[in-house]
Amino acid sequence: MAREVMVTLFPETQAFAERRPEARAALSVSHLTKRFGPEPILNDVSFSVEEGESLVLLGPSGSGKSTTLRLIAGLENPDAGQIMIRGKRVDEIRARDRNVGVIFQHYALFPQMTVAENIGFGLKIRKVRARDREPVINRLLELIGLADQRDKYPSQISGGQAQRVAIARALAYEPDVLLFDESFSALDPQTRVPLRREIRTLLRKLRIPALFITHDQEEAMELGDHIAILNRGRIEQIGSPSDVYNDPQTEFVATFLGAANVMRGTWRDGLIHLDSDRYLAPVTGVPPLADGERVKVIFRPEDVSLGSATGLIETPYHLGRGEITDVSFTGATENLTVRLLTYSQSGNLVLPRGDSGRSSFSSFNNGSNSDFIIKAVRTKWDARRLRLRTGDRVTVGLKSYKALGSE
Amino acid sequence: MSTVSSTRNAAVIGHGHDLGKPVGLGLVLIAMMPLVIMPLASVFIFGLKEGPIHFWEVLSAPEALFSIKLSLITSSAATVCNVIFGLLAAYVLSKYDFAGNSALMIVISLPTAIPTAVAGFALLLLWGKHGLIGYYLERYTDFEVMFTTAAIILANIFVTFPLAFGVIKPALDNFDRSYEDAAETMGASRWQTFIYVVLPSLRGALVTGALLTFARSVGEFGSTIMVSGNLAMKTQTAPLYIFTKFNEGDVEAANAIAVVLAVISFAVFSLIIFTRNRLER
Repeated sequence: MAREVMVTLFPETQAFAERRPEARAALSVSHLTKRFGPEPILNDVSFSVEEGESLVLLGPSGSGKSTTLRLIAGLENPDAGQIMIRGKRVDEIRARDRNVGVIFQHYALFPQMTVAENIGFGLKIRKVRARDREPVINRLLELIGLADQRDKYPSQISGGQAQRVAIARALAYEPDVLLFDESFSALDPQTRVPLRREIRTLLRKLRIPALFITHDQEEAMELGDHIAILNRGRIEQIGSPSDVYNDPQTEFVATFLGAANVMRGTWRDGLIHLDSDRYLAPVTGVPPLADGERVKVIFRPEDVSLGSATGLIETPYHLGRGEITDVSFTGATENLTVRLLTYSQSGNLVLPRGDSGRSSFSSFNNGSNSDFIIKAVRTKWDARRLRLRTGDRVTVGLKSYKALGSE
Repeated sequence: MSTVSSTRNAAVIGHGHDLGKPVGLGLVLIAMMPLVIMPLASVFIFGLKEGPIHFWEVLSAPEALFSIKLSLITSSAATVCNVIFGLLAAYVLSKYDFAGNSALMIVISLPTAIPTAVAGFALLLLWGKHGLIGYYLERYTDFEVMFTTAAIILANIFVTFPLAFGVIKPALDNFDRSYEDAAETMGASRWQTFIYVVLPSLRGALVTGALLTFARSVGEFGSTIMVSGNLAMKTQTAPLYIFTKFNEGDVEAANAIAVVLAVISFAVFSLIIFTRNRLER
């Protein structure tokens, strides 16, 4: 189906997929499957993280990302598949022998131990004597900038500090890989963003391979050298942040990672005929489809260009006329909702019927699935050049789009 | 806990004149007067009315001292047993799901609902000369359980069986499993996790459970009188001593011990309150 088309279509991705699970990988997972009840929560998942690299598993809740982390950590057992850490197969050994560092969602700092005791716990378990633990603890406290908090209890420090302690605690025993389980979601945005940068810098410096689990696309973009997008227990796409954003290979990837407009159509005579009675010329990367096959056309709001109703549009692709139904100004950009116009039987341009703005109340970021409603973004410079208000008629063009064979 | 009550107080002050506090408190104290406070006070008043020297003389009678000592020893033994058992049972019941989980909960809690005299009688039936265990025990080891210190400890264990469990179980239920997960990923064995992570979090519940068990044991009468034989200087606990002296008409002796028991339980419950505030971080 759609997935198979995709794989043959984008040879660079396949090469990438083949290159990854090689011996250099710090962590690799292959064909991982896990069931709770009859439905698999994780279905044949494979990926790898190379030395010094960070991979983000991004997906909505229930996509299986937390299960993946728990399987790697050894807190659950897989039904099928393999997990290798630094060339050693670990899926059949106990969690405590895997030497992974996990930063839990709510950090799970031991409440009866001080910050220093928490950090030293892994070493204590490894029978490192107290006087040998001390320099390690001090170095880590220095690293996370909390030397003055060493004797505090977890209940006495802030969320951001707790997260840093959780990282130091995991680093103390030199784990082979760090696993972050939604570790930023409990923090408020003012703490989260700078802390995220700090941790990215720290990981780059220490060159420790890391796997992040998140549902936050901004976080994924910022933290991941690569992003794997997980949906209903399957990986939809793996790639660099710019790959997955600019070259999404499924509708899910396109809409989950940022805003996207999706329109449906049919491939006929070398052109895509949209259901909204328009046609688009093919672009690079259009799958070799048979006549009459269904196609999804995906484009980002910033790929839309708007011209005055009478003027011509300079973009390569023309979508026709539309009417502005909503304008909102966010500061750096202007967000617009455009409803494409259609021809009535008498030949006049009218608003389409039977499509009564079913997405006009949805939030901007959700994009639009309607064949007639388009989300567009303009820079303030474009907005200044052609001022638009609700009710104005415009010419709609596309700078680029992506066509996917649809099921 | 303290934050909740302080915000509530703040709200009350904010409203100006809330009569709930003085009226409610007054009602509680008035109800407690004839029910609890005055009976307790009379124990002290009668116990001490002949003066401290006389009080001390009565108290230092060898039989009296022995009974207090025996009560403390048997109660301590029962406390140790029940805290260990309560911890184990709470751990198993809260960590694992199994058929009969609820049934086991009910059986563990049952001793609180059974009259203590019946408990004593039941123990006699089992451990006595003709009981299932007692018969074989005597036949093969020549060891008789009934009417010994061991019998008193058994009775105390039975009667206070669910107390420590009842305190530890909810504490364990509230214990966040991710601490155990964290310890495990850091390399700790199940035992190390239990010792370093689970147990410290339970210390408040453990101490409270122990003190409750101890307080209840020290005062136990019904089952003890059935299984101990009430032999002075041998199996006579403090409550039995009070009962015996009272029957003999020696109210002063009975009262002196009663004062000691009251002081012990006062100390124990003060410790419970203190523990709750200090150890449950």
